Amino acid sequence: MRRAPTWPRHAIMLAVCLLMLVPFYWVIKTSLTGENIYAWPPSIIPVNPHLFNYVDVWYLIPFPRYLLNSVIVTIMAISGNLLFNTAAGYALTKQFPGKRWIVLLLLSCMLIPFQATIIPAYLITSWLGVLNSWLGIALPMLSTIICIFIFKASFEAVPRSLIDAARVDGLSEWRIVVRILLPLSKPAIATNVILNFIWSWNAFLWPLIVVRSPDMQTLPLGLARFLSVMEDTTGALFAFVVMVLVPGLTIFLMAQKEFIRGLTSGATKG
Amino acid sequence: MTTASARSPWYQRKQTRDIALVGCFLLPSLAVFFLYRILPLGWNAMLSFQSWSPLKAAKWIGLENYEEMLLDDDVFWDALTNTLIFIGCSPIAIALALGIALLVNSDLKGAAIYRTIVFLSYPLMTVAVGIIWRWLYDVRGGFFNYVLRSTGAIDEPVKFLQSFDWALPCVIAAEFWQVLGFYMIILLTGLQSIPQHLYEAARVDGVPAHARFLRITLPLLRPSIFLCIVVGILNSFTSFDLVYVMTNGGPGHATELLITYIYKAGFGQTRFDYAAALTVVQFLLLVVLTVIANKLSGGNAGSLER
Amino acid sequence: MQRRQLLKSTAALSAAAVLPMPAIAQSTKTITFLTWNLVHLEKHIKDWIAGFQSTRSGVTVEWVDKKGPELPVYYATQLAANTPPDVLDIQGALGLEYAAQGALMDLTPRFAAEAAVKGRYDQDYLSNWVFEGKNYMVPYYVSKTLLFWNKTRFKEAGLDKPPASFDDIMAAADKIKGGDKTGMLTLNFDWLYWPLMQMNGVELLSKDLKTATFKTAKAEEVLAKLAAATKSGAINPISWTGRWVEPNEAFATGNVGMLQAHAPAFFWIKGKGPWINGDTLGAAQVPGNWATPNSHGLGISKGSKHPDVAWDFVKYLTDNDVGTQLARTASVLTGNKEIDKATLAKFEKDDPLAYQVLKTQVEHTDKMCGNWRLGNDSRVKDAFWPEFQSAVLGRKDPKTALADAERRVSRELRRA
Repeated sequence: MRRAPTWPRHAIMLAVCLLMLVPFYWVIKTSLTGENIYAWPPSIIPVNPHLFNYVDVWYLIPFPRYLLNSVIVTIMAISGNLLFNTAAGYALTKQFPGKRWIVLLLLSCMLIPFQATIIPAYLITSWLGVLNSWLGIALPMLSTIICIFIFKASFEAVPRSLIDAARVDGLSEWRIVVRILLPLSKPAIATNVILNFIWSWNAFLWPLIVVRSPDMQTLPLGLARFLSVMEDTTGALFAFVVMVLVPGLTIFLMAQKEFIRGLTSGATKG
Repeated sequence: MTTASARSPWYQRKQTRDIALVGCFLLPSLAVFFLYRILPLGWNAMLSFQSWSPLKAAKWIGLENYEEMLLDDDVFWDALTNTLIFIGCSPIAIALALGIALLVNSDLKGAAIYRTIVFLSYPLMTVAVGIIWRWLYDVRGGFFNYVLRSTGAIDEPVKFLQSFDWALPCVIAAEFWQVLGFYMIILLTGLQSIPQHLYEAARVDGVPAHARFLRITLPLLRPSIFLCIVVGILNSFTSFDLVYVMTNGGPGHATELLITYIYKAGFGQTRFDYAAALTVVQFLLLVVLTVIANKLSGGNAGSLER
Repeated sequence: MQRRQLLKSTAALSAAAVLPMPAIAQSTKTITFLTWNLVHLEKHIKDWIAGFQSTRSGVTVEWVDKKGPELPVYYATQLAANTPPDVLDIQGALGLEYAAQGALMDLTPRFAAEAAVKGRYDQDYLSNWVFEGKNYMVPYYVSKTLLFWNKTRFKEAGLDKPPASFDDIMAAADKIKGGDKTGMLTLNFDWLYWPLMQMNGVELLSKDLKTATFKTAKAEEVLAKLAAATKSGAINPISWTGRWVEPNEAFATGNVGMLQAHAPAFFWIKGKGPWINGDTLGAAQVPGNWATPNSHGLGISKGSKHPDVAWDFVKYLTDNDVGTQLARTASVLTGNKEIDKATLAKFEKDDPLAYQVLKTQVEHTDKMCGNWRLGNDSRVKDAFWPEFQSAVLGRKDPKTALADAERRVSRELRRA
């Protein structure tokens, strides 16, 4: 049977990709433009390109401080998730009384968007005394239900015989997880790391409420603040945007294969 | 190991130890969810029947907050309508994503590159996405006004985000851009899990392409489509960042969503009690919509529980 | 709560053990100073704080600045966490709202004890923040609306002086419009458009602030005129949709005849409009000398742990010395009569046009409108404004809009 030619499909996909990339291009172009960014008509290629805007950002705002806060919060969130989700995911592969209820509980918790509980969440955090701290920002993000299920699915895919053999060898439960299960669950780990990276790195509403002092602000807060302080937009804002996006995109591009594999094997099957 | 018998005390029995282990392993996660999901939900529900602010003691007022919301508060209805429009538009994005997924899900050369590019906007920081799109819509330096004006489609620049009619569609378009890749990946997974022999059999039987799509692809994609719809519903709750940066709910309340209104009522006007009532309504809406979506997709959301 | 106290006391104990001079640790009083949009004064504010700390041993001032809509949110979170900033700089009616909620300290006894301090301020501006007979805020920097008019556009239209009545404004705007030119613009946030209603004798509320009184034939007529003028292009629609940047920017292009705005707009548009000088720009009172204040005041949170230090700091910030520095660096009036006199004298010499503008701010201070002493001003505003906006943008007819507005405003008044 003859197949239809592929060029129409390529043409459509090229157009789609072009559309998807335009926003990236426009913001990079603006961040490099040397002249007034409001000049009409806007040029397609940067006029008189230079990096002044990036230098500006460095001097206008405490970028390293924001970066440090973001990095610490993200590391806390990712390590918390790896540890807690692995443990919880493994526990869920076992049979125990009340398991049905726990699974049901977790599934219904999944339906409660964190954004919808911010008011009591804030009061609770205040009561715990961790407002305006890295821990306070990271705390609600330390475990994620969907990631627990991703681990559970991945662990269940490991042949029982392997685990039983390890148990016969006298390995403790935790060792079984670390030595046997995790090495076989790389896509699940990658998915956990990347999803939690995306969520904690980009988190905005919660830090917006919890953070009190300027030196505790994370990058998204710094970005929003920069936007509101520079009432009249300048090229530096877009340089800041690019600087904020680069780390995330780099990590994503490095790990995307594992990530997409993990997401596709875990998220829809669970 | 001779002591390990039925007569050993309860704390040495294997079953007890297993349960203890399971408990220890589950505890940290459950603690987080208890503190930041379950407890807040209950607290919220309680708060919604009270009159309370940081400066005055709590007092039970029954349904007064709900009465005000449903009978008197026009902004609430605006926000609810906008939220429903926001959710109602997500099928468009899902359909687009399905189209892209179908194109990419083939032996097409370079499919992986296309896939990466389409997905590239999902991991971006939403605040940054908001700033980028604000700039694309800008009256002077914006891309859209540039294209429309230089092609002669319009004479006067369009004030997209300041316009009562355009602001909401514009925000939704930005949201589409960010989430399209995510939908695509979910649908792609669904497509790849459809057994190829079904198509071959259909082809042998001479079933035309569009019928193959309607009878095989769509029905088998239901779980993935359901997941996309749930993501779409959840996005209307999480799009706070985007709206906050792009329009902050304006002009007027043209782009106000429930989540931005909750934030404004609670933290802007110090009306935590009223905001809690709004939250309860928003949560109920989420549950109802999810149940409906589940019914429509054939009720197989239970597959998550397998 | 107990657990937290335990943690705190443990921490305090260990700190005391480590610190070589526990006596100082005990006597340090830290207050927080929250400002609104003053980040551009960072250097000066830090200097002032340093000055305050150097003359008072054992006192530390922590400074936090928040931008526009972030400030109320920040204050609410801090109230909920029971750590309200001690001294706060807030704008306009928000002070009254916080006072009504019981967040602010009543300053009346302080003023009674120190008549000299009370005497520093312009009493009309001071009374902007009297709620139920009590003083809650001290003027920090003040302003009210005025009418900027573009003399070139007026001349082109055959006019040579600022309008003297509402109908004059409308007629002038109509003459000026045409092509890319529009006649008039107003700022609209925080009731800044209200003089347009007030000069027509429209009252929003009865004297006792209990009833809505704006649903009159006159109000309907005014709305209809504004809507017609907006439709014809005599009034730039940005007046009803923009906030601060957009209207000021539009006026700065030089294509607009009049702008109703408060004094800070002058320095903004001057920076953007190279055409602006004494021959091209006029500053006048709005007909009837009506003006809506948009002033900042300093208040003290009731939850402050060191109210005496906070009061001391408020007095320090608004005294003749520090107040003058603020006036000079930010080109503002302060509501402190002596400072403002000196500031005006300086401007009269150095910058006659700015003097023209600023002079309007101390004249007719008895004619301030649009600042009702309500405890729920923002909610009344949110009830009224969308209807007003719909009417002038032609999305609703004035009669219906006013009826809807009355319904919504009455509801808020009832609920208060």
